[in-house]
This record gives sequence, C-alpha cells and structure tokens, in this order.
Amino acid sequence: MANKINRRQFLQTGIALGGAGLTGQGVLADNSVQKKPATIVASGRFSAPAAIPVKKGPRVVIVGAGWSGLTMAKYLKRQNPKFDVVLLDKNEQFVSCPISNVWMADQVNLEFLTHSYVEAAQNNDYLFLQATALELDRDSKTLVTTLGSIRYDYLVLAPGIDYDYGRIGVEDPEQEYALRMQYPAGFSNHSEIMAIKHKLNRFEGGTFLMTVPAGNYRCMAAPYERACMAAAIFRKNNVQAKIHLLDMNPDIRIKADGFKKAFAQYYGDIIEYESSASITAVNLQDKEIETDFDSYGFDDAVIYPPVRAASIIEDFGLSDPASAQKEASIDPFKYHLLDDEYIYVTGDSRSQPFSKSGNTASSEARYVAEVIAAHANGKEIDWRSPQTMCFSGVRIDPLESMSIIAFYQYDQVDKTFAFDRVHLMEQWNARAGQAGLAWAEGLFRDMFYS
Amino acid sequence: MTVKILQRILLLFFFTISTPLQAVEKPVDIHLSFQPDLKNGKRVYEICATCHLPEGWGNSDGGYPQIAGQHQSVLVKQLLDIRSGFRENPAMYPFVQERTMGGYQDMADVVAYIARLPMHPRHAKGPWSDLSKEFQQGKKLYNDKCARCHGALGEGKNIGAIPRLYGQHYAYLLRQLELVHKGIRKVNPAMKAIVDSVPDDKLQKIANYVSWLAVPEDKKAPSLNWRNPDFK
Repeated sequence: MANKINRRQFLQTGIALGGAGLTGQGVLADNSVQKKPATIVASGRFSAPAAIPVKKGPRVVIVGAGWSGLTMAKYLKRQNPKFDVVLLDKNEQFVSCPISNVWMADQVNLEFLTHSYVEAAQNNDYLFLQATALELDRDSKTLVTTLGSIRYDYLVLAPGIDYDYGRIGVEDPEQEYALRMQYPAGFSNHSEIMAIKHKLNRFEGGTFLMTVPAGNYRCMAAPYERACMAAAIFRKNNVQAKIHLLDMNPDIRIKADGFKKAFAQYYGDIIEYESSASITAVNLQDKEIETDFDSYGFDDAVIYPPVRAASIIEDFGLSDPASAQKEASIDPFKYHLLDDEYIYVTGDSRSQPFSKSGNTASSEARYVAEVIAAHANGKEIDWRSPQTMCFSGVRIDPLESMSIIAFYQYDQVDKTFAFDRVHLMEQWNARAGQAGLAWAEGLFRDMFYS
Repeated sequence: MTVKILQRILLLFFFTISTPLQAVEKPVDIHLSFQPDLKNGKRVYEICATCHLPEGWGNSDGGYPQIAGQHQSVLVKQLLDIRSGFRENPAMYPFVQERTMGGYQDMADVVAYIARLPMHPRHAKGPWSDLSKEFQQGKKLYNDKCARCHGALGEGKNIGAIPRLYGQHYAYLLRQLELVHKGIRKVNPAMKAIVDSVPDDKLQKIANYVSWLAVPEDKKAPSLNWRNPDFK
C-alpha cells in the first residue's frame, strides 16, 4: 500500500527525471515519488507548445486511438471537413483486441489484426500523433502531452480501460506487477495477448486457470470464448490439460446457453466451469487462487481482474465519485462532462452501462461525432443507441461462431439504460465464423482504409 | 418471378502517356435473370440478420433502415453498389462480397426473401402530423420533387430500381437526405440534383411527410410482437 504509485505520480516522476537529465537514478531511490510534485509538469518542457501544424479550423483533440477514437476522428472530418482533428495514442500502431482470441488459435494471422495509424490519418485527413496525454488545463483549453501542449476547441477522451487488481485482493505493486508479467489478462494491449498465445501454444499439460471478472468488464463474451479457443488449442496439440474457468459471476454473463452447450458438447473433458468464484487473493508462490470457499492450484494461468476507466480519467479529476469503476461523470446522451460542453468522454471510460466492446465503441463514436459537429453549429441531434455486436468462436478449423446483437433504451423510471432488442444466435456454425471475420474486416476498413 | 441483375462494365482503353486523348467506351449492359430460391434466400439472410435482425425492420433511431418489403431490384442495386464501393459502406462491404454472401444466384435468393418479409407495423414517424403546416409543406415539396419517380404513395418501382419509401423510419430518411446533400452518400445525378434543389431546412419536412405515407395493410406484419418464424 505504502509503495503504491499512481499513474500521474509515476509519469511526473519520469518527467522530473527527464528534466533532471542524467541525475535520474538517485531521484528514484530517494522516494521522491511520495511527494506531491504539484507543477513539475506544467513548468517542464512539455508545457511548451507542441511543434505541430497550426490549426486550420476548430481543433478537436482525441486521446486514445482505439475503436472509439479512430471512428470519432474519421466521422468528425466527415461531418465537418473544417474540423482540425488530432488523434493521439501512446502506441505506434493498432493491434485489435477483438478477434485476438481466434488469432491465438491461428484462425487469422497477425496482419489481420494489425493496422497503421499513419494510414488511417492519411486516408481520412487528420493528424496522428504518437504521444501520451499528461495534464489537462480546462481554463485555457490546453492538453499537455509528451510532445508538448496542444490547445483544443473540443477534447474527446477515449482512453479505454485499466485493470483494477485491488478488486481481487491484490494491493501490493510487487504482486500486481508479478501478475501483469506472469499471468497477463490480455484485454488491454497486444503484448499481453501475444504472451497468452505463446503460453497456450507451449503449455505442456496440467491445470490451466482462467478467470472471468465481475462488474462491467471489457468484452463480456471473450473470457468464455477464450476458454473454448484454449481448449481447442490443447486438443490440437495433444496436451493433457484441464482448464479451470473461475467465474466471479453467478452465471455465464452472455450467450450462456450456447457456451454451456459448447463446454459440455465439445470440451467436457477439458473445461471445468466454476461460477460465483469470488477471488479474494492470489498466492503466487504456491500458484494458488483463493476464493471465498476454496482454493485452486494451477500450473499456468490467465488472470483477468476487474476493470475500471483508464486512470487518466481519474487523474484529470473527471471520475464520477459514485462510479465503482471510476468512470467519467458525463451527460448520458450527449457524452460531454456535466460542467463542460467542450470535453467528451467516450468508449470504455464512459459512465453508461453499455457493453465495453469494439462495436459498441465504434457505433457510439459515429453518433458522438455528429453530436460534436452539431454542437459546433449550435444545434442538437436526437439520441441514437449504440449497437453491441459480438461474435464468439466456439470451434476451430474451420472457425465456428455464434453471435449476438443488441441495442439499448433508456428507462425513464429506473434512470438507466437496459438492453433493447436483443438477437441471439447461439447455434454456432462456420458461416457465422466467416461473418465474424467479415464484421472485423468491415470495421477495419471503416477506421483505416476508407 | 425472376430477379434481374444489371451490371455495368466500363471498358476503358488507356493510351500511352504520349497520347493525350483517352477514349472512354460506352458502358456495356449485361442483363442476367435468376429464378429465386426462397429457401436458400433464408439461408443467406441468416448472415444479414446478425445486423439487420430476422425481421429486417430497421431502427426507429435511423441507425438501420427498414429493408423488409423493399423492391427486389432496389435491394439488388444497393447490394451491388455497396459491393463495388459506389455506395460507401465500409462496415457492410465485406458482407456483400461474393466470398461472404455468394454469387448472383444467392443475391437473387436473398433479395426475394427480404422483399417478402412483412413490414414494421409501426415504423417511426416524423414530428409533424397531418394537421400541421410543416406536414403540408412537406407534402407539397414531395409532390413537386419526389412523386414523379417515387410515386404519389411512395410506392417506388421495381422496374428502374426506384426505392419504395413508405414504411421507412423518419430518422433514416432524414439522415440519408442530409448525406446526399453533403455529397457523402453518392446517388444518381438526377436524384442528387433534386436533393440539392431543396433548401437545407426543407429536407426535414420532406422526410416527415414521407414517414407519414401509409403502409398498405397487406404489407404490414400483424403486430409489433411478430417475430420471423424462420428464425425461431
């Protein structure tokens, strides 16, 4: 607990080191991270204006080039070609999280998942910057980034998620980072996903443990799909393995009948599903996970902890205090901060209880781009529901999938959103497998190539 | 009934750079006819239904159009336009390629299937009902500008691939008109010229009037709770 470093302090320490030149190592050793660094960032080299082209119209800065940010950038330009759109991401290229489970089982190649930010910017006439957002000054409408400060007319924050290891009883950074390195969750970046693919393909047998977090975690169906893919890989590789799928929820969260049938029908000898498994601690030394009632040993694992809005939302002081997942406090229909119509939060950091998935984020971003374009014209548009669509692979060679599509409606009495028309196709087949890949290809095309 | 697929093939002759003249040959029209197989149409539609849902009724908020009950040739034209990229719809593009949805026979089968789906019994209407000034303005504009092709009742025409307009959700109609106006959705030059001749603020009134055009009773599903029995 005492050694917990939050992202901002960590970044600021890094910046202080950068500013101090070669004296860095000593600074780290002397615990300076605990001091409140106040204005180090603002006074540092990052507060100087970024050396980027001068704005040619109202500047919209988007933080995070995931499914939300990429779609937003494109459709803002479509809605109003005068917008000067700047898209920021800390990564240099895009590697898709959706479809990565079936990539682990070699149903698509890495090129299918990997796309160029430069190309997206080229094809859609905006600027892409590889940079990290550090500080926000709402009074002067300035975002400080690792490339310098950028003035915005509109700011869109679409930074995605961070893991919340605290909610599975992991408070100590030593332990948290041991988990991140040894048993990565694979829902936030491709290094983790690649590590999991290699782990699954090199597994020599024994118990492989996987977890499903509680709460509104990213990609509802994916942990169950991943169990299917892992089982298919083990079988293909002739490995004697048991998958212990520990679900913190009372039941499979989505496509429950389909997954139960798939587990029983194809993977009965491999997958052991356990519901209501509230994880309370992880014992790395003995390779054991503890739940309320039991403990489970494992030879290898993929541990997916609960998630929260990316910590930048909290760092910028935008979290809703009532939100368990520290999501932003925004207007549920217009997406702007309650007290600032020039800052929007979209994608998996939003506060609405929508499914945290690529299609949801992309369809939402198309709508929010129209909201912002209308706002710039002094207008408003009617609310449109985001669309949640997801395909889950069940079998491989050829890939067989099932799918779900759902919309949302606002319940005036309960003051919250609930699923609207849900269409579930739990009878998996190879054509749905192909449709799932066509879905991804279509959205990659949308975000990058047209 | 057969479904006709019209393909335009442009034959281009490219001269060398030293020759400034480039001859563009006239388009070659190829008419192909297919006898639709509704059973296979249903099979192909399963893929469409992952987004358009088994009923094909679209969304009241305009995110998806109602496709149920549309003319076969209109559906074919849209599928071919999206397949070729003329109508830009990147998300749908891979789904309408031959490798995903199949060849012309499959296309004929699926449009015949969709054309026979009963329509939404209560699609979303615009804000102004028939007593209002706006409704009357929209009606006049529609009759002046649109009715000649789309028909006084918004029935469209299978021959010539003129879309049936009645039953379409207001928000979808309005967004498409705006996209055409902005040049984002490409349509034929005649349609584009007409949309451009309508002032921006009048588009809403046209969309409103169209959304109130009556759907014939025999084209409607019996109730809002009707679910496509093929997908039970």
